[in-house]
Amino acid sequence: MSAQIQGRYFGKGAPLFKLYFITAIFTVLTLGIYRFWAKTRIRKYIWSSVTGDDDSFEYTGTGLEKFLGFLVAIVILAIYLGVVQLLLTFIGFSIVPQDDSPEAFAGQAIAINLSIFAVLPLMLFAQYRARRYKMARSRWRGIRFGMENGAWGYVARALGYGFLTMITLGILAPLGTYRLEKYMADRSWYGDGRFDQGGRWQDLYKGMKHVFIGLVLMIVSGVLFGMGAANEQVALAILGGIGIFVAYIWLLIGLVYYRVYAFCYLTGKKVLDGQITFSAQVETSTIIAKIIVGGIVISVLMGVIFAVIAGVGAAVFAGAGATGQLGAGSIVGVVIIAILYALALLAAGGLSLVMITQPIIEHVVNNVTVHNADHLDTIQQRSADSFADADGFADALDVGGAI
Amino acid sequence: MAPDGQTFARFFDGEQGLRLDVELHVDTAAETLRLTHPDLPMGSQYWPLWAIRALTDQARADQMVLTLVADASLDSSLIKTARLTVTDPDMISILTRLCPNLKKRDVARGTFRKVIAWTGGAVGALALMIFVILPAMANTLAAYIPIEREVAWGKTVVRGMERFLGGSEAGSLVCRNKEGLAALNAMTERLTERQDLEYDLTIAVFDHRMVNAFAAPGGHVVIMRGLISKADSPDEVAAVLGHEIGHVESRDVTRNALRTAGSAGLLSLILGDFAGGGAAVIIAEWTLNASYTREAEAAADVFALEMLDASGTDASGMADFFDKIAALQDRGSAMPGFLASHPDSHGRARAAREFARTQRYGTRPILSKREWTALQNICDD
Repeated sequence: MSAQIQGRYFGKGAPLFKLYFITAIFTVLTLGIYRFWAKTRIRKYIWSSVTGDDDSFEYTGTGLEKFLGFLVAIVILAIYLGVVQLLLTFIGFSIVPQDDSPEAFAGQAIAINLSIFAVLPLMLFAQYRARRYKMARSRWRGIRFGMENGAWGYVARALGYGFLTMITLGILAPLGTYRLEKYMADRSWYGDGRFDQGGRWQDLYKGMKHVFIGLVLMIVSGVLFGMGAANEQVALAILGGIGIFVAYIWLLIGLVYYRVYAFCYLTGKKVLDGQITFSAQVETSTIIAKIIVGGIVISVLMGVIFAVIAGVGAAVFAGAGATGQLGAGSIVGVVIIAILYALALLAAGGLSLVMITQPIIEHVVNNVTVHNADHLDTIQQRSADSFADADGFADALDVGGAI
Repeated sequence: MAPDGQTFARFFDGEQGLRLDVELHVDTAAETLRLTHPDLPMGSQYWPLWAIRALTDQARADQMVLTLVADASLDSSLIKTARLTVTDPDMISILTRLCPNLKKRDVARGTFRKVIAWTGGAVGALALMIFVILPAMANTLAAYIPIEREVAWGKTVVRGMERFLGGSEAGSLVCRNKEGLAALNAMTERLTERQDLEYDLTIAVFDHRMVNAFAAPGGHVVIMRGLISKADSPDEVAAVLGHEIGHVESRDVTRNALRTAGSAGLLSLILGDFAGGGAAVIIAEWTLNASYTREAEAAADVFALEMLDASGTDASGMADFFDKIAALQDRGSAMPGFLASHPDSHGRARAAREFARTQRYGTRPILSKREWTALQNICDD
């Protein structure tokens, strides 16, 4: 066996699109209930596409357990949200003044938005649970991954680091990124082998360079624009305006760069079972190119599809108008166009999965390497983790993402 | 597979990460698949062909991952079986042909019952929340809102309604004819003189053609001009006014607003997730509201009848008015607001007429002819 394993991704666009499209139709026909099975099937496909040393990953979750988990989560959330909303309204009425003054307006806005803060901890909770569930349902070489229970600890830390990042205007973002990933990685297992996150959070600042450049550019351009506007110097204002636009794009790309940099750094500093190490050479430029190219291709395709549907619709109505019959024929026409339109919307979701999400996964998987892989042979199976809620909270709060 | 050639497959026993390249042999007579490797316990393992399952939704067409049927368990994490990855095309086609249950989906016993039980439990918990807990909380908490807050809030509600009905600025819809207001005042005085009311009433008439009236929190009552025009006697208007005062006194609007805030948050989570639309939430909330308000409406009716009785006003005015509403409803006119939650106008008219027959005191018209004319012209400046 080779001492080094290179990740390889085998997924193809056409079969995944077909799977997405068919399961999406089922989801619509069952008023959304099938989506738990749909997501499970798509995960099975994507997991099975990821291979190391020619052995595929396996996703062992089931749609049924996701559905039951959703029921559990929705009941807990609904009760919680019902009570919270009612209490917040009560507070809004009894404490916040009810007149047209600006203070009253601000007070009411705060009372309404408080419910978002009531949900935020649950969203973080759901994030951790979802990652834990996915780990527990992943296997490679028949050995389970797993993650210890620690969702509330994660919520507390995520809120704390999020607050720190906010009050330092993003300067302490790497601290949060590092510590949260370490919190999760140190609780992760492959079989009886434990992951360990090494490294230092200060090292992530190198990845922040484009974010900082973007920010500085933004501030300078903003000042230029303000000065130009104040002194009626059009050229200066235009320069500032262009600068703000460039800074905005720079900042967006800088954020992607930071995420990629952090992923590669943190992956490189992970150790499994004290001996197995990893490396990742993911390219920001490739990721961004895939997002842009995928986005353009999808827009063009969807534009053509919608144009064709509109053309068909126009033809149907023109035909009906010419014969002067607005009876059953045109109703059938409307229904057909409505169905085509709905199918096109589903297709758009499938295209974004196949043309953006999957290519990014493919690039990442193909650029991850496992070192000292011989030690993997000694890993033993871990005991199973059972979940009552599966990743139902993530489903209910919609924090699950594409897959 | 060459006749005398060997076929290998990748085997993982589900206990350790070590991969074994086992030799495969199909025994058609015994209907088993034999796995041979020196490191296997006893050197080989036999898989009954009927028990072999293939993993579904796999990305790779050049291989097939096999597993043995698991001990039926709902918890997928507990399924602990070995995995066998076959890459040899001939072996794949042989196994596809010979394994009868390769694509079978095994469903654990009791699954159906479990799904029904959990779904029922979820629906029951949510129903308990919507119909019992949230209303009870709303009722309790409504009593703790300070009255001055309620009055201020009611003012914003009335103003919002005015804007909704087309009033360009605050107070632009309010009718201000002096004699009309005096008549309205006289009516209110007469209705409430024997009552011990918790709220100071603020009663206004809006210059709008809608046949409607509503109560807002903190003692606000608004009657539309259309309702006064529709009435044939001041007693009819007094009946409606009494009904709205009933809502005011039992804090119906405040309680309803609190309850709605709770159940709307809850419903939007459930329905928003399942059907993906806000329309479903609005419809559900509306239906829910109608079922709650029916009770409150009946209580307000009783309150109004007693008020009419105590003030010596003929309750058949209420009966007459409900008859008119019933006629409007029978013609299928859209009845928003005040009337939408009163489906059974015939029944309410009958109840009022019944009550009128048993009125204890002698009755007299609530307003003089002159006052009634003034009230009818309250919106004329």
